[in-house]
Amino acid sequence: MLEIKNLHVAVGGKEILKGLTLSIGEGEVHAIMGPNGSGKSTLSYVLAGREGYEITQGSISYRGGDLATMKTEDRAAKGVFLAMQYPVEIPGVTTLTFLKTALNAQRRARGDSELDAMSVLKLVRQRATALQVTEEMLKRALNVGFSGGEKKRLEILQMSLFEPKLAILDETDSGLDIDALKLVAEGVNALRAPERAMLVITHYQRLLNYIVPDRVHVLAGGRIVAEGGKELAHELEAKGYAHIVKEPA
Amino acid sequence: MNAALPSRDARRAEALESFRERGMPHRRFEHWRYSDLRAILDAGQVAQSGTAAWHLEKAPEGVETFDLGKPDAPDWVMRNLGTIGARPTMKEASLAFADGGIALRVPRGRKIAEPARLQISSTGNVRVLLVLEEETSLTLLETHTGDAGLLRNVGVEIALASQAKLSHVRFAASALKSISVEHIGVTQARGAQYRAHFANFGSRLSRTELHILLQEEDAEAHLSGVNVLGDEGHADLTSHIEHVAGNTRSTQLFKKVAGGHSRAVYQGKITVREGANGSDSRQTAKALLLGGRAEADLKPELIIFADDVKCAHGAAVGDLDPESLFYLRSRGVPEAEARHMLVRAFLEDAVAEIENEELRAAIWQDVEHALPHAMRAAR
Ligand SMILES: Nc1ncnc2c1ncn2[C@@H]1O[C@H](COP(=O)(O)OP(=O)(O)OP(=O)(O)O)[C@@H](O)[C@H]1O
Ligand SMILES: [Mg+2]
Repeated sequence: MLEIKNLHVAVGGKEILKGLTLSIGEGEVHAIMGPNGSGKSTLSYVLAGREGYEITQGSISYRGGDLATMKTEDRAAKGVFLAMQYPVEIPGVTTLTFLKTALNAQRRARGDSELDAMSVLKLVRQRATALQVTEEMLKRALNVGFSGGEKKRLEILQMSLFEPKLAILDETDSGLDIDALKLVAEGVNALRAPERAMLVITHYQRLLNYIVPDRVHVLAGGRIVAEGGKELAHELEAKGYAHIVKEPA
Repeated sequence: MNAALPSRDARRAEALESFRERGMPHRRFEHWRYSDLRAILDAGQVAQSGTAAWHLEKAPEGVETFDLGKPDAPDWVMRNLGTIGARPTMKEASLAFADGGIALRVPRGRKIAEPARLQISSTGNVRVLLVLEEETSLTLLETHTGDAGLLRNVGVEIALASQAKLSHVRFAASALKSISVEHIGVTQARGAQYRAHFANFGSRLSRTELHILLQEEDAEAHLSGVNVLGDEGHADLTSHIEHVAGNTRSTQLFKKVAGGHSRAVYQGKITVREGANGSDSRQTAKALLLGGRAEADLKPELIIFADDVKCAHGAAVGDLDPESLFYLRSRGVPEAEARHMLVRAFLEDAVAEIENEELRAAIWQDVEHALPHAMRAAR
């Protein structure tokens, strides 16, 4: 599904990822943990196709194609979804209007017929209820004035609407209260399927109690420095990164 | 009483004299710094441009009208014509050279639901007078179309008696061959409200100037507007709001989208006069520049002689936010569509200031029509 080989990425002329290799198979859930500033968000942005993130070496193959050469919006249409660590506030764009536009843009790109306003509303309402995203939030401008937790729930609502093939969750758990964490985890688990893969970036083992990963990777200094099963997350929580990350990046 | 007032001819002669003396406005005169009219037009051409044709699409019931080209003007015209607001040189010209125009009166107590629709589509000088008596309301849609070249020079006067409410929507279609000048003078008595929206899609040179006098307590002026400019379009909105009495309020919200080689100008002066305590004024002007060749000049200005006054002003010129663009694209919205969404979003709050739903929808349509021109050189 996703095959990252020796990836080097520079941002603003500074190399952030320094030879990252990672492979995720269909149906798998992988977790990435790592200290602040180690390059986790950078990796998520590169996968989503953010401008200014320059791949200087290495390759990313996604479902057999070269992801790096694809436009951002085409990646979304082909099933890449990034739940951002800091979702952007966009005044003047109503949340519901945005959801409809995005959903239909993806459908159009895939050659599916667009949904009319009523069908979109029905679908959104149905998914929103499970995540306790209120009608009032849908009427407000996108993310504007949303609390940290509300923004994260809206990200997961989008994931649930778009039904991506590869979902990348960048610290979706930070800022969530315990109940919201469970809701979000249920939302994620509901999407677990043999043809889907997930990359969960987190600082906390807690989330991984709900979304149990197949593999855990430790990212430090722009590289994967350790890998293991779900027990690695417990170990990190108990001992910290110091014993794994020997030298500062 | 009528006999004591100077005749219309006398007023026109005086205005002509004043225009002749002062001549054409230019970069260092009457705040025409970003719109050099004298460089493209001389006084003789102003005189020769004659009278502009206007069309009032049937006056709403309850509104009295008078054609300023006709003799024997009624008292309410004679008391107001040529007396409201400042008299910059081009406004004098509009009085001196216009042989006609339209005057509207809403008699005391009448609330008019249906908008009055005024269209101006030819070149030349023209005068407009609106008199709203006590406790009245009216919506005026002023539409400018046509692009015949040369000059359209409009002098507007608005007298709002106590508790009168006017909603004024001025729409100016793109007219890149033409010069458009308009001066709007407004006087407001106790509790009078003036709401005005200026949607301007650019001319070769377009200048819309307002002078508003909040003369008695609780008078309020709320100005808003949008520009969507492309090619060589130009739009200058210059306002001067004077808080003459205390406890008066004014707000301004202008959003300007400029692409191509266009130029958007906002000069907003607020004066809070001595003794106008407890006044509240806010002004915001923002410009979105698409491409490196467009220009925006935003100049808010505050002059305060009173105490206990609340004033806030801000101006910002920027580009589309790359983070927002990435967010939308990462959700599958194609780049062109995402840009379009963000430009609309930028204009949203200013258009939302239009209270009349039908007019608001119409302005959105015009914005849609103008956007491709503004966004053509977007990258
Ligand atoms: N535009 C930029 N120019 C220079 N350095 C940058 C830029 N953007 C990010 N960085 C640097 O890249 C490094 C990695 O940042 P990134 O956001 O990927 O870290 P992270 O692992 O997600 O951290 P956190 O756990 O705090 O979210 C940081 O040191 C950051 O300062
Ligand atoms: Mg991060």
